[in-house]
Amino acid sequence: MRLLSIIDEAYRVAWGDLVYIRDNIAEVLITSLVGPLLYLLAFGFGIGGSVSSDPDAYLAFIVPGIVALTTLSATFSTVAMKVLVQRLFYMSFDELLLCPVHISAIVLGKCATGIVRALLSCTLLIVVGHLISPEVSLQPLAILVVVMAALTFSLMGMLVGMFMEKSQHLNLFTSLVIIPMTFLCGTLFNVEALPSVASWVVYALPLTHVSELMRGIMLDTCIPMDSVAILAVYLAVFFAACWWMIKTNRC
Amino acid sequence: MCRDTENQFSAASGGCSDATIADVRGLVIRFGDFTAVDGLTFEVRRGEIFGFLGPNGAGKTTTMRAITTIQRPTSGTVLIDGHDASSDYIEARKRIGIAQQHISLDKDLTVRQNIRHRAILHKIPRSELDSRIDSAAHLLGLEDYMDRTVGSLSGGWKRRAAIVCAIVHEPELLLLDEPTAGLDTRSRHILWDLVRDLNARGTTIFLTTHYIEEAESLCDRVAIIDHGRMVAIGTVDELRDMIGGVAVDSNPDGRTETRYFRGMDDARAYASSLGDAYVSIRRTTLEDVFLELTGEGRGRFE
Repeated sequence: MRLLSIIDEAYRVAWGDLVYIRDNIAEVLITSLVGPLLYLLAFGFGIGGSVSSDPDAYLAFIVPGIVALTTLSATFSTVAMKVLVQRLFYMSFDELLLCPVHISAIVLGKCATGIVRALLSCTLLIVVGHLISPEVSLQPLAILVVVMAALTFSLMGMLVGMFMEKSQHLNLFTSLVIIPMTFLCGTLFNVEALPSVASWVVYALPLTHVSELMRGIMLDTCIPMDSVAILAVYLAVFFAACWWMIKTNRC
Repeated sequence: MCRDTENQFSAASGGCSDATIADVRGLVIRFGDFTAVDGLTFEVRRGEIFGFLGPNGAGKTTTMRAITTIQRPTSGTVLIDGHDASSDYIEARKRIGIAQQHISLDKDLTVRQNIRHRAILHKIPRSELDSRIDSAAHLLGLEDYMDRTVGSLSGGWKRRAAIVCAIVHEPELLLLDEPTAGLDTRSRHILWDLVRDLNARGTTIFLTTHYIEEAESLCDRVAIIDHGRMVAIGTVDELRDMIGGVAVDSNPDGRTETRYFRGMDDARAYASSLGDAYVSIRRTTLEDVFLELTGEGRGRFE
């Protein structure tokens, strides 16, 4: 009963952000899709075709990786910037804290915009990936992973958006954490190709496990359950940290 | 009325009474070594316009944040209609509306969308949404601006939109944090009329302001705080009587000096004793009281 109440409240919190997506759907889709499609073009057809002995296999390899990196690129910066702007410039984040809703609902509601963006763009990418590479299968389970990954990265964005005091800090975080993750976490090449120390570091990052899961599901190989567990731990830690920051008035 | 000596003011016993909408008891808020609020006790009575005054840094906003449930007290309690603002914050928030000093609207959305979002957050039934939004907008004359983006409005209209957002769920207690800051005189007077109108419709108003004449004009009772402690609380007349209802300004040596008297006879006698010096006799204002009690005055009172 309490869970249903929190889900209902999360929708209420998300309403304003969802209205913005509805009213600006073209802009949302373009900003979410251009990057991943360029990766597909440049790495799948460009570099892949010239350096790989089996271009089709490489294309099938990177489609799940690009879907995985889209769960990060479509969510993190959107949620982080939205929370930061609403908190520091519009002051409207404060209004949420004054409304009769649970803290969990505020946390989940502010992540909704990231999840919707990721669902829209990843679903399109999965379909496009299936069309250009028959080895990529359409699996409903992939959508579940998209939601789980999008929620994890949205929570990370919310945490950063609540923590940062300047938009420049957000740019710094993006340069130092998000961009390296985008390229290194098994999205465009196999993590095992990295030196062993680097591969252990990369293996500890959440996007690596989204890549592994996506590849396992979309290429019909085994689903790595340890990746599910690690992603769940990240999700829980990010959620708890967001909840704690609001509860203790640190945002 | 009382002048604070023990920093204790009478309040309804045993939490909120029917006549009390907000009950603040022994409120202490510390940030590290700094004590922002130091043992405030007061009540806000249903149906009144309650003014909350103090110099910059006196603890007004911190106290207001505690009443709005955002700031947890270090010690003490805040009850909103009997609900603890810390532990029962959801019930407390249902009874509160707040228009913050900074316009806190989402500038990506239109005025109507902002108001609708606030109504949805306060769980107004879907069947009542449109009528509630229209009636709140009508009350503040916002009808023609509803479909404009917030960013395109002037300061006065943004302020009205913020107040509509604060009242759309028909709160029992409306907190206005410096509602007329930055507005021109005409807009300020329009907002004063709106505050009176809302109060006449049964909404209790808690008002912080730097404009003393605003509190004097609007408020049934006024509290003055300084350094986080209550200095005085009462009706405007009661506060005036604290320092004397009649003020005599004189201008010896080119600087203004003010003395306060309880009666006109004493004031006239004092004015006569000053001989040819420039003297004016007037009614004591709330600003005089504020300045004297917060240690910034230039006068003397018995």
